[in-house]
Amino acid sequence: MAYIEFKNVCKEYKMGEIIIKALNNTNFSIEKGELVVVVGPSGAGKTTALNILGGMDTVTSGDVIVDGKNVAKLKNKQLIKYRREDIGFVFQFYNLVQNLTAIENVELATQICKDSLSPDEVMEKVGLADRKKNFPSQLSGGEQQRVAIARAIAKNPKLLLCDEPTGALDYKTGKQILKLLQDTARKENMTVIIITHNAAIAPMADKIIRFKNGTAESIESNQNPIPVENIEW
Amino acid sequence: MKIKKALLKDTFKEIKKSYKRFISILMMALLGVGFFAGLRASSPDMVDSIDTYYKNQNVYDIEVMSTLGLTDADIEALSNIENVENVYGTYSRDGLIQTNDKEIVSKILCVDDVNQPVLVEGNMPENIDECVVEKSFLEGTGKKIGDYIDIEPEETESTGTTDGEETEYLKNKTLKIVGVVESPLYISRERGSTKLGTGVINYYIYVNKENVNSEVYTEIYITLENRNKYQTGSHKYENYVEETKDKIEEIKEERENARYQELIDEANAEIEKAEEEFNTEKQNGEMQLQDAENKINEGKEQIESGEAEINSNERTANQQFQSAEAKIESAKTEVAKNALRLNNEKIEAEKGFAEAENQKAGLQSTLDNINNAIKITDNSIAEKQAQLETAETEEEIATINQEIAKLQATRQVYETNKQSVEAGMTEIDNQIASGRQELQNAEAQIDSARKQIQSQEASLQQTKNKTYTQIANARKELEASKQEIVDAEAELETSRAEFNTKIQEAEGKLIDAREKVSEIEKAEWYILDRQQNAGYSSYIQDTESIENLSIVFPIVFFAIAALVSLTSMTRMVEEERQEIGTLKALGYNKFHIMLKYIIYSSLACIIGGVIGMNIGFQLLPRIIWDMYEMMYTLPEFIVSFNHQYSSMGLGLIYICIVGATLYTILKEVKETPATLLRPKAPKYGKRVLLERIGFIWKRLKFSHKVTVRNIFRYKKRFLMTIIGIMGCTSLILAGFGLKDSIASILPNQYEDIFHYDMLVSLKTALTEEQRNTYIENLKQKENIQEVVETYMESGTAEKGDNSETVQIVVPSDNQEIDKVIKLRDVKTKEPFTLSEEGIIITDKLAELINANVGDTITVTTADDIEKEIKVVGITENYISHYVYMSKALYQQVFDETYSTNVLLVQDNNLNEEQEETVMQEMVAQNEVQTVTLTTTTMKTLDDTMSSLNYVVIVLIVSAGLLAFVVLYNLSNINIGERIRELATIKVLGFYDREVYDYVTRETIILTIIGILLGLVVGYFLNFYILGTCEINILRFAKVIHPISYLYATAITLVFSIIVNIVTYFALKKIDMIGSLKSVE
Repeated sequence: MAYIEFKNVCKEYKMGEIIIKALNNTNFSIEKGELVVVVGPSGAGKTTALNILGGMDTVTSGDVIVDGKNVAKLKNKQLIKYRREDIGFVFQFYNLVQNLTAIENVELATQICKDSLSPDEVMEKVGLADRKKNFPSQLSGGEQQRVAIARAIAKNPKLLLCDEPTGALDYKTGKQILKLLQDTARKENMTVIIITHNAAIAPMADKIIRFKNGTAESIESNQNPIPVENIEW
Repeated sequence: MKIKKALLKDTFKEIKKSYKRFISILMMALLGVGFFAGLRASSPDMVDSIDTYYKNQNVYDIEVMSTLGLTDADIEALSNIENVENVYGTYSRDGLIQTNDKEIVSKILCVDDVNQPVLVEGNMPENIDECVVEKSFLEGTGKKIGDYIDIEPEETESTGTTDGEETEYLKNKTLKIVGVVESPLYISRERGSTKLGTGVINYYIYVNKENVNSEVYTEIYITLENRNKYQTGSHKYENYVEETKDKIEEIKEERENARYQELIDEANAEIEKAEEEFNTEKQNGEMQLQDAENKINEGKEQIESGEAEINSNERTANQQFQSAEAKIESAKTEVAKNALRLNNEKIEAEKGFAEAENQKAGLQSTLDNINNAIKITDNSIAEKQAQLETAETEEEIATINQEIAKLQATRQVYETNKQSVEAGMTEIDNQIASGRQELQNAEAQIDSARKQIQSQEASLQQTKNKTYTQIANARKELEASKQEIVDAEAELETSRAEFNTKIQEAEGKLIDAREKVSEIEKAEWYILDRQQNAGYSSYIQDTESIENLSIVFPIVFFAIAALVSLTSMTRMVEEERQEIGTLKALGYNKFHIMLKYIIYSSLACIIGGVIGMNIGFQLLPRIIWDMYEMMYTLPEFIVSFNHQYSSMGLGLIYICIVGATLYTILKEVKETPATLLRPKAPKYGKRVLLERIGFIWKRLKFSHKVTVRNIFRYKKRFLMTIIGIMGCTSLILAGFGLKDSIASILPNQYEDIFHYDMLVSLKTALTEEQRNTYIENLKQKENIQEVVETYMESGTAEKGDNSETVQIVVPSDNQEIDKVIKLRDVKTKEPFTLSEEGIIITDKLAELINANVGDTITVTTADDIEKEIKVVGITENYISHYVYMSKALYQQVFDETYSTNVLLVQDNNLNEEQEETVMQEMVAQNEVQTVTLTTTTMKTLDDTMSSLNYVVIVLIVSAGLLAFVVLYNLSNINIGERIRELATIKVLGFYDREVYDYVTRETIILTIIGILLGLVVGYFLNFYILGTCEINILRFAKVIHPISYLYATAITLVFSIIVNIVTYFALKKIDMIGSLKSVE
């Protein structure tokens, strides 16, 4: 059995009278340690899928198995526990707490986890050892996103979920972030899922899932992922 | 215009979208305006209500009373004074009513055209045997309409007649209750004091004016021409009244003298009449006495002649009896003699009888012999006969015959002898019998003679007895007559004595009456106005306290309203930064952009304000009135819409809210569209001062560090929370502090300062000796522990323009007074002693007239003597104003003879009931004018002050509302402003509880800071409120009990906990995805 499995997942939103089907019978699976890139146009349901996988949203029907646990069946408190212990999130807009320094933002995550990594080490890993005492407003976008990644991986999660991590960054910085994510997946053997609308970065992944109209249209395994440095777009 | 329409549409949509914010601003406006308008209107509404009441009931403007009563001439004189519209002479007096188990004292008023009572139930008293009562009278006595009461009016030393013949004040003293009324003269529970019963008037009753029998009016009530133009209590009204009073003052002396002269004349005339009467009475009495004496003398003579008659009667009777007795005696001697003779005869006869018996016995023996001879003869005969039989011979027969014949002859002889003997015996017997018969006859004769004598004797005795009894009776009668005479004489003597004393008394009375005439004091007029009416004046004072309070509270509300609006609108403007940028980029000018926010806040403000003022005007005055209604009886409370306060309140809140909006929006629209379109740079994180103090910072838990930073990051919120909480805590603390202060006044005054239990005022007319005897007796009583003599009078103390009514207390002994009144420094509690150096005044008085130790103030006595005296001490005091002065100083300054008129009495810890009994005993004594129990005074004051407790409730409720609005608003803003941050930590996997802690830890710290500051501010606010609502004659103790701090803290915490609970659920509902998706 795969490490992560989406089985017949449906998600409907009610907007007044209208029911919008965000996910329509989606199926895919991901193995442990894989770097997955999810691509697709806006509104295809990729973010919804990621939110469900991250325990931030619930399904209307279907099962979501993560490491043998059916996330779709978890209750509120268990969901929080799942997020707390198994999931690391990286957002497009970093979502750092402005009032905390870089290292404190990492600490914010580590203080609630049992097997967390040392914040200092993590900061070193993301290459911000010398800027850890700075406030987010004193950091560039790329640096902020690195802090966000550090915050996510410091929890030592089973899954690292990244929603458009480079969306707000320039090309070069974006590349550096993707490199960091790829390295993390490789070195830490962490399962990393990256959502992007930029199909060009797909070759860096072990697996590429394409979303369209609320369903995973194609799942493609890439036997030879290309290092990010070698990808141009 | 089209532009505007689009904008308007946008504005309304905005309101719909952010209804919570809109409502919170609206609520602030509602509360602010509601409280402002409502509180401010309460006092005018109360004044308005009493004004209407007084106008409707034609209540007096000026009242005139006189120590000698008032007459029609006075009315005439008063009618001619300028401004005076109507003058009414009326009567009132205190009276005792006995009900089932108690005695109650009632003021008896007359139904009149002035001060008309309001009929609540039943009818007005149309007949002289009817009365109407107040409602509490029925409740207190259990009587019903239709029941009868007996009322005994007080007997006064008459304002009117000089002496004696007190006419009944009421023609009809048994009255039927026909209705229930409310009197405008008694709107509070205070009914005044009296010389009757316990000294306190319990109720008032109204009787028909016709029922009153009085030569003079007890009061004159005056209504003024322009009274309806002014509102009662207003300066204009008071000036108007004062002006008229001054004019009355001008005729006062003349009228006083007139009345005095009238009384003197009347009294003199009456004395003359009395004298005449006295003289005729005297003559009559003397004549009567003479008659009685004459009668006694006549009686005496009669007795003497009667006695003589009896004596002579007795003498004749005695003589008669003696002769009768002599006769009987001689008869008795005769009989005795006869008896003696008879006895002798008897003895002789017996002797004869014995002889005869002897003869008889001799005869008997002869007879016996004869009989024997006969027998022998017979036997010989028989033998011879037997021989004859045997004898055959004739010879023999013849011889024998012969012999027989011979024998027979012998026998014959014998027989003859025998007969003669027997005859002799019979004769003897006969002789004896006849002798005996004779004796018997003689005896019988004697016996009958004796009997006759005895009966004669008995009848004599009877006659004697009868006669003597008659005499004795006659004597007795005579004796009785004698006694009668003695009695009559004694009676005469007593009558004479009585007559003499009566005459003396009457003479004495006449002398007294003459003296009294000379003693008739000059009449003194009292010219009063409504302010001297206890109910009215305390009512007006209360309206002033409320007015003062109504200034303080709304300020707090306005401040909070401004702050809440500021934060809300800032948040709103920030949220719509991009929209503003877009509009600006589209070419809208500043004004149009601002318009939306101005309309938004104006709408919230005006809608809230209008709702608020409508609720406020109706609700708050009524709530406040509800509280005061327990103390005051007014037929109707008038609530009106006060345009002045409504526009003022709305204007103020508009300035606060729309001003805050303008401030925010102006800052924003200044920026260029480009800047506006870019997301606003998030607030930068900053190090706080605490971080630089390494050893503390390092020790802090991570989450605490976050909290500390956040607190300092959001300054507006920081400020608002602290001010909100501070406002809440301080209002509550001020409320409780007010309560503490009010509650401590009574114990402070009557337990710490005054230690006497009764204030006994003595009658002024007492001589020194009477007073001393009374005091000595009082001191001996077992219930009484301490009696301290003082002189007390009311007067005024003045310095500069400030003047206050005071009680001047002059103890007879400078040391003794310390037992019942503690004179001591306010702060150091150092005791003072009175001296000749100067006076000691009470602290509130010192404050009011602005006098310090060493200053000279003007003291005016009741007799209008003004003197300048130096103040040497300021003593602690809480109720009323006092000027303490040593006896020596008083005599020196006022040059008056000093005599005590008040006794301050301390009893042996009697309970209330015992005190009442003691008091009743005292009041009944001639020397005593009135007795005031400290417990009664305390109770009355306590009732009055307890009404201020409601202020505390108002404070707490308003503080609660305030805290709630502020905290709720804060919590909304807090969540709204930090939604991304909160969503992020939720995504990171913080449990609900942890998210809640993350946010509320700040709130809790701020709440604690707010509470601490609130306690400090409350401390000062309390003093401020105390200052504003302090009544002139009271000094509130500036105390707040520790428990009050605790209450204030606890109540604030409860409010914040409630809000925190609301926050908890709001946090739980945060939509992570939605919040993180958008860019701020």
